[in-house]
Amino acid sequence: MFPSKDKNPDDRDLVSRARRGDREAFTQLIVQYQVPLYNMALRMVGGREDAADISQEAFLRAWEKIRTLRDAPFKSWLFQIAVNLCYDHFRRGRRYGVMPEDDQASNVIGLGIATPDPQEHAEASERHRLVHESIEALEHDMRVAIVLRDVNGMAYDEIAGVLRVPLGTVKSRIARARAQVQERLQRHPEVFPREDARAE
Amino acid sequence: MPSESRQHDGPSLEELSAFIDHELSAEGRASVEDHIAGCAECRSRLDGLRQTTQAIRGLPMETPRRAFTIPPEGRRSWSWAPVGWLGGAAAALLLIAVGIQNLHLPAGPAATSGSTSTVSGGLAYGPAQGEKGAVAPLAAPAASTQEFDSQSRGSATNAATVVDPTNSSRRLVLDTDSPSYPATGRMQVTAQLIGSPSTSLNSANQGLTLMLVRNGLGVALNPVGVESWNGTPIFGGWYDLAGFPLSAPRAGDYRLVATWVIPDGSGRVLQASVPIRLTGS
Repeated sequence: MFPSKDKNPDDRDLVSRARRGDREAFTQLIVQYQVPLYNMALRMVGGREDAADISQEAFLRAWEKIRTLRDAPFKSWLFQIAVNLCYDHFRRGRRYGVMPEDDQASNVIGLGIATPDPQEHAEASERHRLVHESIEALEHDMRVAIVLRDVNGMAYDEIAGVLRVPLGTVKSRIARARAQVQERLQRHPEVFPREDARAE
Repeated sequence: MPSESRQHDGPSLEELSAFIDHELSAEGRASVEDHIAGCAECRSRLDGLRQTTQAIRGLPMETPRRAFTIPPEGRRSWSWAPVGWLGGAAAALLLIAVGIQNLHLPAGPAATSGSTSTVSGGLAYGPAQGEKGAVAPLAAPAASTQEFDSQSRGSATNAATVVDPTNSSRRLVLDTDSPSYPATGRMQVTAQLIGSPSTSLNSANQGLTLMLVRNGLGVALNPVGVESWNGTPIFGGWYDLAGFPLSAPRAGDYRLVATWVIPDGSGRVLQASVPIRLTGS
């Protein structure tokens, strides 16, 4: 079900070494995928702690099972593990808190460098909050499809491999998810004015 | 719903969505292009979907606050919660970030050039605060910007450059001022995000992480946005190695790894690494 073409050929050597128990090689895979994997989980489950837990567990399971990985691309396989963990998370019915305000902003450190305009920053935070809420309101199958596409930039065949569904299903879920997110964002024309309205 | 969304003889919702993603066949793509050229309604639908897609792709890529690891031996002898020295690292980094945030440095070039001592003195990471600090930010005096010139990489003593295979003008350049340090020394790190689609000096928004790794364990470094001249976001800092919560023996061979998830929604990752040797105890 995975796409036959490995879109990350550089992984092959690392995976091959990791399969022989090379911890350093697997660490390089962790470093390479930790940010995209964490962000996928973050957009799926909403909370930073839960997303970090899921990411860590996915890397751990991948490390434990990497000897069973044959021809499948590592990236798709890793994301498949993490997506399954997200579904487990939903099944357990664990409540996740509302995302805290953009506390990543605390990492913006001024050293005499111009900082973002406070109003622009506030507007961007509001846009991000509404987009995040709109994604969070999606049914899980649609949510994961749109996250893998628009957050992680995966191609449709990669997504089909991760989710183990036909290509047509991926196409349909992404389209429906976008339509629903669009519908929700349009409830906030002050934040998301339509392009044609802007032009007027 | 998708099939319901087909209006008149125009493309369906799925076709418009796949058109945005370049996931239609050449024939399908041409068909959509032909139609929207003469149909304002479908152009508007397509624009709406594009706006939505851009809004989602505009979400910042966040950097996890934990270093993800694999167990040294046997699964349950290890916990993935930020415990032990990794937890200490996370706590130290957080403390540093907060400490720096509270510095209230005056803006402007004069403040920049004079900020070295202010920053060092103001950091909440020294032993007096009860935490072993890991990072001291690189104050970016104007004179130092010459060192960041990508054309001068040849003079760097420990550097690695990775070029985006899909865009040769985009590069990740990682360097340190030496490949080897005393375990109690200071390491200068810079990571240049040349050709970044973003000018943000927030490492999370840029999708940049820095880690010092050895044997499957790593310490996440807090990459401070230090300078953005000539449109190139530059991150790095002076890192106090004595404060790094490294496992014994501290001396040994490590790799400093910079990972850049290009903030253009493509999911592409550039990764550069350089060897780092720590000596002494």
